[in-house]
Amino acid sequence: MADRMEITVNGKTVGVQKDSYLLAAVTDAGFEVPTLCHHKDLTPGGSCRLCLCEVEDGGRKKLVTACNYPVRGPVTVRTDTAEIAQHRKILAEMYLGRWPGVPVVQMIARECGVTTSRFASEITDDAPNACILCGHCVRACDEFMIERVLEFAGRGIKRHLTMPFGEVDHHCVTCSSCAYVCPTGAIEIVDDKNRPLDAKAIRDHGMKVNAEMATLDSKQCRMREVGTANIVDVMDAYDLLPVHNYKFGKHPEAKKLYSTTLKAEYFTQGAADACWRGCSMACAKAVDGFTLKTGPYKGQQVLVDGPEYETAAGAANMGCFDGDFCVEFNFYCDTYGIDTISAATAIAFAMEVFEAGVITTKETGGIELRFGAADEALTLLHQMADGEGFGVDVGQGIRWMKEKWGKDGEHAAFLQDIGMEVKGLEFSEYVTKESLAQQGGYGFAIKGPQHDEAWLIFMDMVNKQIPTFEDKAEALHYFPLFRTWFGLMGLCKIVWNDVVPADNAVQEEAHKIPGHVRNYWKFFEGLTGIELDEQKMLDQSARVYNLQRILCRMLGFGTRKDDMVPYRAAGPVTREEYESRADRYDGQLADVVGVDPAGKSTEEKMKILRDFREGQYEKLADAVYRRRGWTEDGVPKVETLAALGIDLPELVEVIKADQ
Amino acid sequence: MASACKVKAGDLGKIADRVNASFGRYKAMLMVCTGTACVSARSFSIRDRLALKIAEKGIADDYLVVGTGCNGFCAVGPIIVVQPEGVFYQRVTDKDLDEILEQHLVGGKPVERLLYEDPATGKVHTRMDEIEFFGKQQLIALRNKGIIDPENIDHYIARGGYAALGKVLEAGDPEAVIREVIDSGIRGRGGGGFPAGIKWQSGRRAAGERGEVPYVVCNADEGDPGAYMDRSIIETDPHTVLEGMLIGAFALGAREGFIYIRKEYPLALVRLEKAIEQARSYGFLGPDVLGSGFAFDVSIHRGAGAFVCGESTALMASMSGRVGEPRAKYVHNVEYGYRDRPTVLNNVETWATIPVIMDRGASWFASIGTGDVAGDPWAGSSGTKAFSLVGNIANTGLVEVPMGITLREIIFDIGGGIPNGRSFKAVQTGGPSGGCIPASKLDLEIDFDSLSEAGSMMGSGGLIVMDDQTCMVDVARYFIDFLVDESCGKCTPCREGLFALKRILERICRGEGEEGDVQFLEELCGTIGATSLCQLGATAVNPVMSTLRYFREEYEEHIRDHRCRAGVCKELITYRIVADPCTGCLACLKPCPTQAITGEKKKVHVIDEEKCIKCGICREVCTFDAVEVV
Repeated sequence: MADRMEITVNGKTVGVQKDSYLLAAVTDAGFEVPTLCHHKDLTPGGSCRLCLCEVEDGGRKKLVTACNYPVRGPVTVRTDTAEIAQHRKILAEMYLGRWPGVPVVQMIARECGVTTSRFASEITDDAPNACILCGHCVRACDEFMIERVLEFAGRGIKRHLTMPFGEVDHHCVTCSSCAYVCPTGAIEIVDDKNRPLDAKAIRDHGMKVNAEMATLDSKQCRMREVGTANIVDVMDAYDLLPVHNYKFGKHPEAKKLYSTTLKAEYFTQGAADACWRGCSMACAKAVDGFTLKTGPYKGQQVLVDGPEYETAAGAANMGCFDGDFCVEFNFYCDTYGIDTISAATAIAFAMEVFEAGVITTKETGGIELRFGAADEALTLLHQMADGEGFGVDVGQGIRWMKEKWGKDGEHAAFLQDIGMEVKGLEFSEYVTKESLAQQGGYGFAIKGPQHDEAWLIFMDMVNKQIPTFEDKAEALHYFPLFRTWFGLMGLCKIVWNDVVPADNAVQEEAHKIPGHVRNYWKFFEGLTGIELDEQKMLDQSARVYNLQRILCRMLGFGTRKDDMVPYRAAGPVTREEYESRADRYDGQLADVVGVDPAGKSTEEKMKILRDFREGQYEKLADAVYRRRGWTEDGVPKVETLAALGIDLPELVEVIKADQ
Repeated sequence: MASACKVKAGDLGKIADRVNASFGRYKAMLMVCTGTACVSARSFSIRDRLALKIAEKGIADDYLVVGTGCNGFCAVGPIIVVQPEGVFYQRVTDKDLDEILEQHLVGGKPVERLLYEDPATGKVHTRMDEIEFFGKQQLIALRNKGIIDPENIDHYIARGGYAALGKVLEAGDPEAVIREVIDSGIRGRGGGGFPAGIKWQSGRRAAGERGEVPYVVCNADEGDPGAYMDRSIIETDPHTVLEGMLIGAFALGAREGFIYIRKEYPLALVRLEKAIEQARSYGFLGPDVLGSGFAFDVSIHRGAGAFVCGESTALMASMSGRVGEPRAKYVHNVEYGYRDRPTVLNNVETWATIPVIMDRGASWFASIGTGDVAGDPWAGSSGTKAFSLVGNIANTGLVEVPMGITLREIIFDIGGGIPNGRSFKAVQTGGPSGGCIPASKLDLEIDFDSLSEAGSMMGSGGLIVMDDQTCMVDVARYFIDFLVDESCGKCTPCREGLFALKRILERICRGEGEEGDVQFLEELCGTIGATSLCQLGATAVNPVMSTLRYFREEYEEHIRDHRCRAGVCKELITYRIVADPCTGCLACLKPCPTQAITGEKKKVHVIDEEKCIKCGICREVCTFDAVEVV
């Protein structure tokens, strides 16, 4: 890589990344330099000056601090010249003179060959837990938590740690990061009001999350910067962004909904806006002072909470590549109490039905409901809320619309294919055609096609971590249980996989992000004292999951036919769709299905592909049910309930007939 | 204002002609200095009363009163200069105005008692250009001092102001501007001495590579005690700073500029605000500068007065609303400065000089000063430098002289030497973290490099002159004390090290110095200088290092002999009345705050050592030099 270069440290050659800090290179080369202000998870402080090194660059020698010196050329570095040793001695002596009782100071002083100090004075503080002004806490408050409640005040020797105006600041979220990174114990937690069983275990793992947010998020999903909207950019790039009722996966105008655009033109609250004050990810974003163009609040300036990924992608699904529309749609959905996903998917469906000529302005009450008709979509949303006009139809959802317009039989099959709902719930905003795993993720989800149970599209299509059929079936067992477990504990799942540990890729079963799963177990263990492993966690969850499926069954759903997805979710329904990705589909016919596409009409090829893909889905269903201990029709077996210890008579009663 | 009202480049000459023609109609113009020093001596009142009296007399069509910026000769203010003949009135009060009006304006005869008398020669000078203080000066940054009303943009235009900007915009070649600035050899007047053109070039390159719009910043956070060059430039000629920034912004492709000025410069702030307002109304700042399509505007950021905020990275932190602390400069501001954009920061004097360089050309500027900077701006120090001349010197004031002038010329020719019959001991250059240069170096030709070699620095241009009653250990202690207060405290060597220096120096001044102290001071200065995070710490050791280098024997006398030869360090001295010269006049008895002096009229007085607190008042009031310090 062009950005890598070689430098010499004490005569040894080391490869380094351009612009990385020298300290890492020195350490990599196997040398140690003393420091009292550096922390591995925080930006360099550069204040203790102990990590002094001599850098020779183009014949000129200079002293630099290794912690914050960015390597930008093939420099020659010495870490321990006589001059450096002399300066370090004096610096260590300064520390020892001011804070003689602090163990880390004593240790560094010993390393620098200092045992007594000429710097003792009236400001000498011999407490073993004195604050040595390293600034870890100040940086942790800012970088871990984005709070900046702690700062130094006072110049020169009057420098001291404080909260604003020397008072306890109510903005402090009591996250304890400051105490965690303090090297001397100067910051102490006096009362842990939640009284967890093992606060340290919880803190150890919570701080890992904080540190990853501070150091990795900006290089990974940028959740702090743009929230889940970052996914718009990725999905468009991977042909997975729903466009025109899931017909396509990308669009030339999608950039208008990219997180970069939202950040530059809409998001106004760069600061932390979290679900709870202690969250170090704080992924929620907002648009301040937005002037509404339609509806009951037309002309007013409002604050809009969002847009998140699904809302922006929903706009794309309706073909409305317009930030203003997206934000206004977001605002009114929130205000009316309508889910942005269901609304967008339902309107996108109505748009396609209108464009296909199944319905006309006669049914829509004069609304020209074409893809991209942003004003009309907003009109429809207001009608849905008011229970007026065409809004009454669309507001009752896709399953209802399908039945109404398919009654005559002529369009029933088409409407079934393109009506993106399962169990009566609208699809959330991912194109699943090329991801069998995500089709299953949606289809087998107990409460319908939302991605809360199994969001596999990233690991399947972007990271390609579950390539085989068996991998996908296993994922459809593990992830719904794992994610149900999050829900049971009331824990956020975004910190599980939106940022991953730096070394995740080399872990076994990397797609599960084992480092982060362990965080959750340890958190549970710290709270309850109950030790957890993968099987115990899955068992806890499986009891609830099976119960949910039985409840589903009681409500008239919960069998194999209810888990089937509309064909739009699995493959191209229309000629236009097939031909827009002809190379991909033709290739699959040849390579996967084993049929030569040459000389065949599009309709013939579509038929072959459809048979194949629907067959795959059925096979997936067999495998998933088997793995879950359910019957071929997708109903939990009594023996499964027995194994989980929930074979209660009233439950068995519900599923008895299905065995 | 509609764009039709805006001034185009071609209109500048017309405005200049109109203003100059209007000046030509007056028989005389009375230039009243309204720089801060004269203002503190009531020159606003003088300016206003003079104008009122002229109006009352009905001669307002013949005489114009102009309040100007600092004349420079602050020691003799308030100053009125009657132009065009250049009659120089000094120490003017309200009471003198009628006389000036009647005798001079009406009667045609200058008021002799208000003229300047050279204390050295006893000669009375009528005209300003006869006075030696002004003789060796060469004015570039301060070219308009005493000549224009800083609050009137037309006055600046009449002196050729904004013409250089017009020329630059017309040529439309930013690279050529940068080449010109490099070729001129101008080095940063803020103290660092980094070639301004090279800084601009790096800023332009970084902005181009990253596709970012850069910023320009003017550092007006002059914080050195006793230094007031930058304040005076703004008070005297704010538009030259704006014009310099405009030229720089054009060269860099910047659209926004900031002036960081300390809040305790109220007069400069008011004049700057007015200048910006006027420049906007003329269209010199705004979306279409001089009708060229180039857009640039300036806003003011007021600093709260921390010395460290003069350091560029601390300044930018402060501008961003963060604590004014410096950061490591391994990545320079020209790459990642204010708001992480490429930022070019120069100080007031540098910006003020730019229009003249563009107007008169790089080679003209390069021909002034030391070294041959034609091929390499590092090879010398071109142009002029403004200095504020303070301390034990006859002519306190502000001067601008060509680089390469000797200290002797500045102190003795321009500055009039040491007053009160005392002798020169040292001059401190470069502010609190500069060094003290002894008499043996008086013939040093001063420029950036020679001062560094002498263990001091150019700094922003403060010159504090010290006479033989100055204790050099005490001077070092004083400056370190200032720096202990002003160190931000972020890095260990500056925070802990300066405090340790202060304690040792105080101990030595108390007569409690120990063997080994001097070596420890040297050791400590070595580490503070080499390892501090920013230049405040790195240069803070200069006062100690330079006094150790040139006045080491004074340290040794304090430590070994418990003696302060200058008679400053109280614990080491005793006041005594010498019998011979004492006339028994009783003059010293009354002011003594502790009644330590006893005596009768016409009898030798005696100081009770027990009671004496060594305040030195007796010595000051004694007109017979009978009080001695031993």
